[in-house]
Amino acid sequence: MQILIVEDESSLMDSMVSYLEMEGFRCERAADYCTGAAVLDKHDYLCMLIDLNLPDGDGLDLVKLARENESESGIIIISARNAIEQRVEGLDAGADDYLVKPFHLSELAARVHSVVRRTRLKGGEMLQFERIKVEPEERTCYVDEKQVDLTQKELDLLLYFMANRNRVVTKEGIADYLWGEYGGDYGSYDFVYTHLKNLRRKLMDAGCPDYVQNIYGIGYKFSLE
Amino acid sequence: MKLLTKSTLLIATLSLFLFFIMGVIFFQVLKNMSLSNLDRELGDLKEIVLDYLGDYDLMESRTIPGIDSIWIQAVGEHVQTADIYEDTLMLDVKDQQFRTFRYLQFNFAKDDSLYLIRIYKSTTPTDKLVERVTLMITLMVILFLTGVFILNRFIFASLWKDFFEAIEKLKRFETTKEPVILGDQDIQEFDELKQVLEVMTRRLANDYKELKEYTDHTTHELQTPLAVIKSKTELLIQSKNLGAEEMKCLEAINTSVHQLSRLNSTLTLITRIENRQFTEKEEISLTGLMERHLELLQEYIQMKGIRIEKDYRDAGRVLKMDQGLADLLIGNLLKNAIVHNLEGGAIVLETRPGSLILKNDGPPLAFSQEELFTRFVRDTRRSGNFGLGLSLVKKVCENYGFKINYSFDNQQHIFTVRLPE
Repeated sequence: MQILIVEDESSLMDSMVSYLEMEGFRCERAADYCTGAAVLDKHDYLCMLIDLNLPDGDGLDLVKLARENESESGIIIISARNAIEQRVEGLDAGADDYLVKPFHLSELAARVHSVVRRTRLKGGEMLQFERIKVEPEERTCYVDEKQVDLTQKELDLLLYFMANRNRVVTKEGIADYLWGEYGGDYGSYDFVYTHLKNLRRKLMDAGCPDYVQNIYGIGYKFSLE
Repeated sequence: MKLLTKSTLLIATLSLFLFFIMGVIFFQVLKNMSLSNLDRELGDLKEIVLDYLGDYDLMESRTIPGIDSIWIQAVGEHVQTADIYEDTLMLDVKDQQFRTFRYLQFNFAKDDSLYLIRIYKSTTPTDKLVERVTLMITLMVILFLTGVFILNRFIFASLWKDFFEAIEKLKRFETTKEPVILGDQDIQEFDELKQVLEVMTRRLANDYKELKEYTDHTTHELQTPLAVIKSKTELLIQSKNLGAEEMKCLEAINTSVHQLSRLNSTLTLITRIENRQFTEKEEISLTGLMERHLELLQEYIQMKGIRIEKDYRDAGRVLKMDQGLADLLIGNLLKNAIVHNLEGGAIVLETRPGSLILKNDGPPLAFSQEELFTRFVRDTRRSGNFGLGLSLVKKVCENYGFKINYSFDNQQHIFTVRLPE
């Protein structure tokens, strides 16, 4: 068991499990607070996804409980509550990240990867996809050991693709990931296109094949195919 | 004009007008009365003079008590029958000054000779009397009017106290949404006003509360199904065996659900601001805030080739507000100025003591100016926005007592936010 998901909405749970399993994670489900508390220290999870609004308790207490048990798992809070105080409260309780519903599954995957990288590998891991290597902490990118100069946004975009390799990611998902609160505003899809174009050009100039596929105007796929 | 000022002015003009007319009439009557008194006196004196002249020699009879002066002339024939009363000026021998006198002229026959006699009486004492009385009366009127004004103020203040209280409570209703409940009224009209206000505001407050709860619940309850649709769509598009047609459908679903969830989160935000759920107050530098948002929006600004002009005359201004709401206020104002700008247009940012001014080039509004801050009012020539940005801005301003104004001048949209200290 690598990932524990505590979420009372079963359809949403199904979606998360399906997507994360495609990413190669194995998931344990807990539909309420009691189940969650019971399985909390059963395994040494890579990451826990905890909903705050549970039918029989507050997810925040689960976060505190996990930290009291000195669990080293990464914790991501998923919540419908979107207020700065709640985010701060959640992060203070020991969560590593806070994701507001409704979210993109691709964004969830990217966050899970990032949290796992930070908590388990202390950020030192080098991400690799075929001939591309990225050091997330150093914010550097290499193609065949040759450094490629990427802007902040281009690197974020590449990391997002690498976390969702072989998946179709929507342009809305990319915009939300790159611009947060400004995502989805006028013109941000044009920016997605511009940054993507530059990223592809830079990678191809460095001698890398084009890994990005356009999928019917809905989004993009980063894969070997 | 205030009620008190208006009523005082009315009373003043009306009473001054009335007192003026009354004064003129009073003066005339007094004058006439004193004149007729004088005439009667002269008539009485005439009898005395006639008696006197019958007994004494005409030429010696120049000092008759009660008469200021007498004038006798022998006339050949009978020139006058009726007595004549007349005013005249005469030199006063004592101080060599002309004074007004009243005289009575009559005929007198003695020893077959006919005389014309005038007896004079000075009007100075009666004139003085009329003058004094008029002065006294005027003084009394002035005193009386001052008294009335002062009294009016007191009576006014106590009578209308409840009325003003009601106005104050009504003013506060906008922010508190508490029903306006006034104390017991002993004036019937105010009692009616009290009841009407109470019923009306109670209903308004109730409607408002219900609407708020409705929005609150709806937006909250929508979040989970939206999350489900969003995630299921995303899972579906990963499927390998979908054709172009299916993908097109999925794209439409994906776009719509994305819009819907953005709309929902904005509405939730508006509801939360209306519910006054933002109580944190931090000290935020206004210029720092604007610089940060300009940085965040840099890509948009560059893409449209927009020029930013800054005129920070109150660069040290600090706002005491919630960080999130401050971001919302400045972020939305700047975004608005960029989105509705021209290609290569300009944005002017000014801070002055007590206000923040944003100007941006752009075509005139496609709708009326009054609707600018209303929800869902937007330029239909553009798609992809809901017209909620400026209504959010307005809500934030209301939350902190800022006043926001819009004007269009010289092909520029001008937003002025008044920031009280």
